[in-house]
Amino acid sequence: MQSRFIQIAGIISTVVYAGIIVWIYATEPRSFREVATNSQVAAGVYEINQEKFNNGLALFRRDQFRAARDEWTAADPAQRDPRTQFYISYAYYREGWGRVYYDNALFKQGLEAVNRSISLAPNGVLVVDDPNLQMHSAAELKAELEQGTETSWKDLNPVKLFRQRK
Amino acid sequence: MKDRAQRNRELLHFIALPAILLTAGLLGGLRIDGQTKQFIFIAPPLVTLLMAILLGALFVRAGTIDLHRWLSIEQPMLTNVSHLLTLAALFFASAQAFNSVLPESGLLHWMFSFFFLWTLWTNQFSTFDPRRLLRSLVILFGTAFVLKHLFVSALYAPEGGWLKTIASTLLKGISIDVPAFAPITGYISFFALALYVAGLLLIAPVPVQPGDSEANKLVVRDDALSEASDR
Repeated sequence: MQSRFIQIAGIISTVVYAGIIVWIYATEPRSFREVATNSQVAAGVYEINQEKFNNGLALFRRDQFRAARDEWTAADPAQRDPRTQFYISYAYYREGWGRVYYDNALFKQGLEAVNRSISLAPNGVLVVDDPNLQMHSAAELKAELEQGTETSWKDLNPVKLFRQRK
Repeated sequence: MKDRAQRNRELLHFIALPAILLTAGLLGGLRIDGQTKQFIFIAPPLVTLLMAILLGALFVRAGTIDLHRWLSIEQPMLTNVSHLLTLAALFFASAQAFNSVLPESGLLHWMFSFFFLWTLWTNQFSTFDPRRLLRSLVILFGTAFVLKHLFVSALYAPEGGWLKTIASTLLKGISIDVPAFAPITGYISFFALALYVAGLLLIAPVPVQPGDSEANKLVVRDDALSEASDR
């Protein structure tokens, strides 16, 4: 009876340990902190750091976009919160926006963040009800960022100098 | 007293051995970035799987693993499942042990791979017993470890040194791509290899039969008799 118990315990422990190893190699954590974050995500108990998120929002409203992004990245280290990813993308948009030209590198990073946000949102639809923003949906922001990264004859139109940042 | 010995034998065989092999597998692919000190997990490349298969064949040929005793239709299902998992852990640990001592990319990766494959292939046609095979493996992994983690890493260390000067003069024009890892990577690799060898030492050609210590004795006696009749 005891032998049977040891065998069953051995099978269970081996399967669980092997599963953990496969999971580690699949998620490729870069530090012990990331291991903890990934475990929270896997267990479904992951939450963003609300204090850091609010700090980021305050910085964003003062047009300190890089600092805001740093705060939001720290608030959502696993990049699993669609709202935070939306704001990160918005910060890229506002920093990369220019009256004469757009910063292509920043817009591309913004596009990556908004794509993450859309893929994480339920049914791929995300609406952020923030009166300080002029674009409230992730789809709208994505379209704006995509337009900014494309080059066309419209870019030579002098009227675009009078356009407004959203 | 006999019961306790039997229980310890079972704990070692069914729980500790797979855990040791899996830990060797986990650590075998772990590197630490030289600059950021972040973890880098490198999954076993295809060539290491091929090497693990060749090594597995060598284990069976040398008698380190008596496959008929490990997996048999006469054994209970639970025992077979348990043994299958241990063998899978051994395969994974072997692949990762090779991964641990292989340079990650470039010319050196292919040179090391070629020498490993050549050695394993020629060994298939040699006469081995389990003890000789283990000694041969310790030397094989030890040499590769010294070459990769002491020699090559010293050659391409960012702070340089006389070895680096000589190598850069000798290998002028030949690009050898060696990623920079933190020195602790060598310690992790050493630990992984030590665990792997410990796992190999714990593997019995004839596995522990659960429950009956008398049956284990009979199995061993049966082996001794068949060896004697072979002679």
